[in-house]
Formats: sequence, structure tokens, C-alpha cells
Amino acid sequence: MNRLRRYLPAAVRVTLGAIFIYAAVVKIADPVAFAGSVAAYKILPYFANYLAAAVLPFLELFCGVLLVLGYRVKAGALIIAALNVVFMAAVASAIVRGLDIDCGCFKQGGDKTSPWIALARDTVFLAMTFVVLKLDPGARRHPSPPMQEQ
Amino acid sequence: MRAWEDGATIDAMLKRDRFITVAEICLIIIISASAGVAWNWSLLTGAWRGEATQQAQPSAPTGEELPMPIGLMQVKEMHDSKQAVLVDARNAASFAEGHITGAIILPLDQARKNLSFPSSAKVPKDATIIVYCNGFSCHDSMEVGKLLMQAGYASVYVYEGGFPEWRDAGYPVATGGT
Repeated sequence: MNRLRRYLPAAVRVTLGAIFIYAAVVKIADPVAFAGSVAAYKILPYFANYLAAAVLPFLELFCGVLLVLGYRVKAGALIIAALNVVFMAAVASAIVRGLDIDCGCFKQGGDKTSPWIALARDTVFLAMTFVVLKLDPGARRHPSPPMQEQ
Repeated sequence: MRAWEDGATIDAMLKRDRFITVAEICLIIIISASAGVAWNWSLLTGAWRGEATQQAQPSAPTGEELPMPIGLMQVKEMHDSKQAVLVDARNAASFAEGHITGAIILPLDQARKNLSFPSSAKVPKDATIIVYCNGFSCHDSMEVGKLLMQAGYASVYVYEGGFPEWRDAGYPVATGGT
């Protein structure tokens, strides 16, 4: 149990970081296609789709690297949590508006990912972020106070 | 007295922590935004001016000639000056529901079987053709564009924003008529 408590947060942190690095790299490799995926949500005006497609993958990349390295974990995890909330809101709005689009979460083009699957996946990522924020020692700047002596 | 036993000290430390975390978040966002803008500078400046975006289709075999992408503003200019023939690559139902005014329908399925325009439309081989479908996530326009190029049409463009972007920009649309 102690071992699980010791290694689980680190494993979750590195996994989450690696997922975001992968997501970022495939988007950076094809920014036009990612701009298309962002535009398909019909939320942002024309140029903002390109701006989001240019900036978001780098934000994912930097935060992913920070999580993998265990450096500035709290800041990186908080940004990833915020990104996940934004992604979930966008996917939910696509479901509500009945848009038949690919979520654009990872590899651009190819088979469509159901928005419900995307939503479930983002929920898992958000839960992983909370595990990191709550349990990973890197997310705490100060050690916990010792137990009070009886 | 230990530091964590002092309430005021704990408050001060928490405040300081919060400030540092917010500062770190701001710094990460600034660095990411700068890197993203720098990395995609030509794409962003092109998009800002409404220019056609660079083609990014790594799956295309080397040597295959691809239609050039074209942006909303150019499409509007060429539409208004009647310099180009607009081709709608969506199906008949979507076309009837709404299409760019003056566009000709040529769904991908039909183009694969028999690449011919409706008899009422005369499209010479040297005409400038702009193919569109249902926006960035729709690839039928690119496929129809490739088929048109293979059929000998020399000047073929793909409008990636497609009908949704055109309609949302408030430009003229028509309904019915296939």
C-alpha cells in the first residue's frame, strides 16, 4: 500500500505528461489540419482558429515536459487541468449543437473520434491531473507538517 | 517554535506559494505563446492576410500534383469577379440545403464514377476551379480537386474553409437546384 502511494502519483504524472507531449507533437507537425479541427467547432473567428492551432500545442508540449521532468509540477498540472476543462466544454458544445466532427485531440485527419469518447477521455485526464495535484510531492512546495505528538 | 505552528507564517507562506504558482503559470503561457507564434509565423501572417494556407498533406505520394489551397478572401474576390468556377463536392441533399451562389454540384462519389459537370455548365479545361465541401474536416473537396487535375483541368484550388465558413461570413448562399 505504501509502495502504491509512493509510486502511483509519479507514474500518473509521467503518463499524463507523455500523453500531452504526444498530443502536442502530432499537432505541431500539421498546424493547418489542427486549425481545421479547431475551426470545425465553429466557436472562434477565422484567424483565431489559426492562432489557437499555433499556440495550444506548444502549451501542451511545455506542460507535458514539465510533468515528465517533475519540475514546476503544480503550475504545469493546473494549466493541463484548465486545458482539459476548455476541451471538455468545446466537445460538449459540439455534442449539443449536433456537429458531426472529429475532436482533433490527437492525430489530425483519418478516422473520426466520437465526441463522447473524447469527453470520457478528457474526464480521465482531468482525474489524473487531480491525482497529480493532490498526491505528487512535486506539486507541493513545502513538506507536510508532521503528525501532532499525543 | 516550529514554522508550521505559527498561523501567520503559514498564511504568508501560502500567499507566497500562490503568487509563485500564478507567476509560473503566466510565464509558461507567455513562453508557449511566443514559441507557437514564432514557429508558425508564416502560417499566421498568411492567415491574417487571408492568403491561401500552405498545403500540409504529408500522406500525398511524392510527385503527385495537388490542388492548391485557397482562403476565404480570395474565394470571395474570384467569386465576385466571376474569375473562377466554384464546385461543390458535397452530396445533393447538402447542396440543396445551401451552397455558395453560382456553385456547380459535383459530389465525390459521382466524380469517381463519371467526372462530368451538369450539362448546363460549360467548364473549359483552362478555367480556374475552386472546389469546396463542408469545411476543414471535410476532405472530399481535395479528392475531387485531385480528380479534376488528373482529368486535365490545370488550375484547381481547394477552399478548405468550405461552405460553413462562407455562410458564417455572411456571403451569398443559395438553396435548392441540383
